[in-house]
Amino acid sequence: MNNNMSLLNLSIAQILDFAAPILFAALGGVVSENAGVVNIALEGIMRFSAFFGVWGAFVSKNPWIGLLWGIGVGIILGALHGYISVKWAGDQIVSGVAINVMAMGIITYLLEFVFKTTGYSPPVPYFGSGANRIHIPFIAKIPILGAFSNLTVLVWFSLIGVFLIHFVLYHTVLGLRIRSVGENPHAAETLGVNVFKIKWLATISGSILAALGGVALSLGTLSSFTNAMPMGKGFIGLAAMIFGKWTPIGALFASLIFASAQIVQMLLQSSASGIAKQIPLGFYLSLPYFLTIGALIGVVGRAIPPAADGIPYKKEG
Amino acid sequence: MKEVFKRIFFPKREKLWWMNILVPITSIILALIVGAIFIKSTGRSPVLAYKLLFGSSGLFPGPYWKNHFAEMLLASSMFISTGLAFAVAAKGGLFSIGAEGQFLVGGIVAAYFGYAKPFANLPTAVHLTIIFIAVMIAGGLWGAIAGWLKAKRGIHEVITTIMLNWIAIYLIEDWLVIGPMKANVSTGVSGTPYISETAKLPKILPGTRLNISIIIIVVVAYLVWFLLYRTTLGFEIRAMGHTLIYGMEAPKAAGVPVEKRVVQTMFISGAIAALGGAFIILGILFQFPPVFEGGYGFDGIAVSLIGQNEPLGVFLAGMLIGGLRTGATSVQLAHIPKTFPSIIEGLIVAFIALQELVRYLLTKFLVHKKNVISGQNPGGSDKNSINVKLSDGGAAK
Repeated sequence: MNNNMSLLNLSIAQILDFAAPILFAALGGVVSENAGVVNIALEGIMRFSAFFGVWGAFVSKNPWIGLLWGIGVGIILGALHGYISVKWAGDQIVSGVAINVMAMGIITYLLEFVFKTTGYSPPVPYFGSGANRIHIPFIAKIPILGAFSNLTVLVWFSLIGVFLIHFVLYHTVLGLRIRSVGENPHAAETLGVNVFKIKWLATISGSILAALGGVALSLGTLSSFTNAMPMGKGFIGLAAMIFGKWTPIGALFASLIFASAQIVQMLLQSSASGIAKQIPLGFYLSLPYFLTIGALIGVVGRAIPPAADGIPYKKEG
Repeated sequence: MKEVFKRIFFPKREKLWWMNILVPITSIILALIVGAIFIKSTGRSPVLAYKLLFGSSGLFPGPYWKNHFAEMLLASSMFISTGLAFAVAAKGGLFSIGAEGQFLVGGIVAAYFGYAKPFANLPTAVHLTIIFIAVMIAGGLWGAIAGWLKAKRGIHEVITTIMLNWIAIYLIEDWLVIGPMKANVSTGVSGTPYISETAKLPKILPGTRLNISIIIIVVVAYLVWFLLYRTTLGFEIRAMGHTLIYGMEAPKAAGVPVEKRVVQTMFISGAIAALGGAFIILGILFQFPPVFEGGYGFDGIAVSLIGQNEPLGVFLAGMLIGGLRTGATSVQLAHIPKTFPSIIEGLIVAFIALQELVRYLLTKFLVHKKNVISGQNPGGSDKNSINVKLSDGGAAK
């Protein structure tokens, strides 16, 4: 009994660990797309920040410095995306493609330049090590709640981020402005909202969130950067954002579902019997994407993007 | 209705038409400059890097040119196919990121029809025809799913094509290749079985790997141009693209069955992308390997954007990217990883995305300067011709 309970807690904790990068990416998408800026560069930004996080932690021997490096590179990329798509009204998707393509090349280059390798970076101090985790001993024995007794600080950030962003988007003036810019920038402009400023703010904060996702990937439960990162996590985040209907709470649930799909798949691979074991790995891995298409078709309720999502804004006249 | 279409198209035949050629070229040059700064800032020699990169890219004559040239064309045929796939969709106002998935679907279908027993003893011509028809139907259908979802459910094709890409990747690499299509373990082959001899693309340049894929893609590029600019279907596709931001109202009013055309456009796009997958399986790998180094679909987007979504432009851009990839391996001699070309590629796309800025700067430098020059010194020969066109356009407006 006790054993089952700790297994349950462990699984939940694992799901939260898995979900954190996806959730950060999804939140980044939520923030930026609510202001009407599509960001398919999430994947590329995560790759950059995952690497810079490890680099920072490697140089300073301190994961917090790594986190700052990751956020820094997120700000730079957000500024690049904003410069192209907000300042010059360039195509947001083209800009995102550019960042994704560059991420492939630049990070492989830097990996070789900094660590003299093309595969794995050496291990660095990370948030998942015993000392850096957040221990809450007195809830450790309680079922479900016990899962929260030994999490990394990044998981906590991601969970707090959900509610913070929910509060900002739906209960503050700033949030109202962000959403109005995403729905109808011209009307917002008429009412005196500085559309460009809001779009810049949303693009950069969205990138910072995606960058946190990248750091969560390389410094969360792992302690090094591998050249395959982020293995499509940014695109799953994008899917989670859509599946969650462009809301932070929705993104949380979507990320948890996608993460559980992977955990369940891992559990089944090791211990399943009967039919479940015969379902090939590919089906589990592609499940989140089928779910997303299903969500869009309307099986799980129709997902509708902000009305002016992806349309470059130009002042009239 | 002809008037409506005319009004839509003729402003596009703009006075600054040469800008459409100059912008990609400027973007490429700017990207190479930024790339050089990047190499320099990491303490390596950009001159050496570019010398190695372009020396063995096959784009310029040099030592071992025949081999590099063949490899360049071999790689280009794949990039051109995914680039054309993107361009066709883009002409119809559809932003298809799905070439990656369609490429893989084409590859796996080619592998299956290549090794499947009933086809193994056919003559090469017949066998290849069957394979290519199957490949194009499969890739086309994979693309048409996104088109159908767009037409019937109004779901943005960017999202569905991204999802379909990952579904294709996982179902093929983590199911088909390691499951139903796995080679017999006793043969020691991992991945799918090797295709039969009759399914291999015939070689056309002795001593190299160059095969007929480049000829096929030249024909396809011509057909795409013909489709877009010489047929009613192509006219309607372009009409959709031009009126995208007005909800395609004009073509709808003119009686174009927009929904049907969206599905058809995505089918064509998917079929062309799938061809690239067939090229790599039938001409280079001869099986679907357990670890497939993809990315051709995503590079196709870059290729098409650099080529301004025009068939000829895509062809040239495909050769450029193919050349950069061919030269990539020798860049390692300058202690630069072979993924370096994708930095250049990404930078080119970034500058293409910034084309409003590039256009603005070019106009500022060329047009304004020229006004000054023509005021003072009307004798300039080369620039003068541009100047005449400019002033013509200005007068017309």
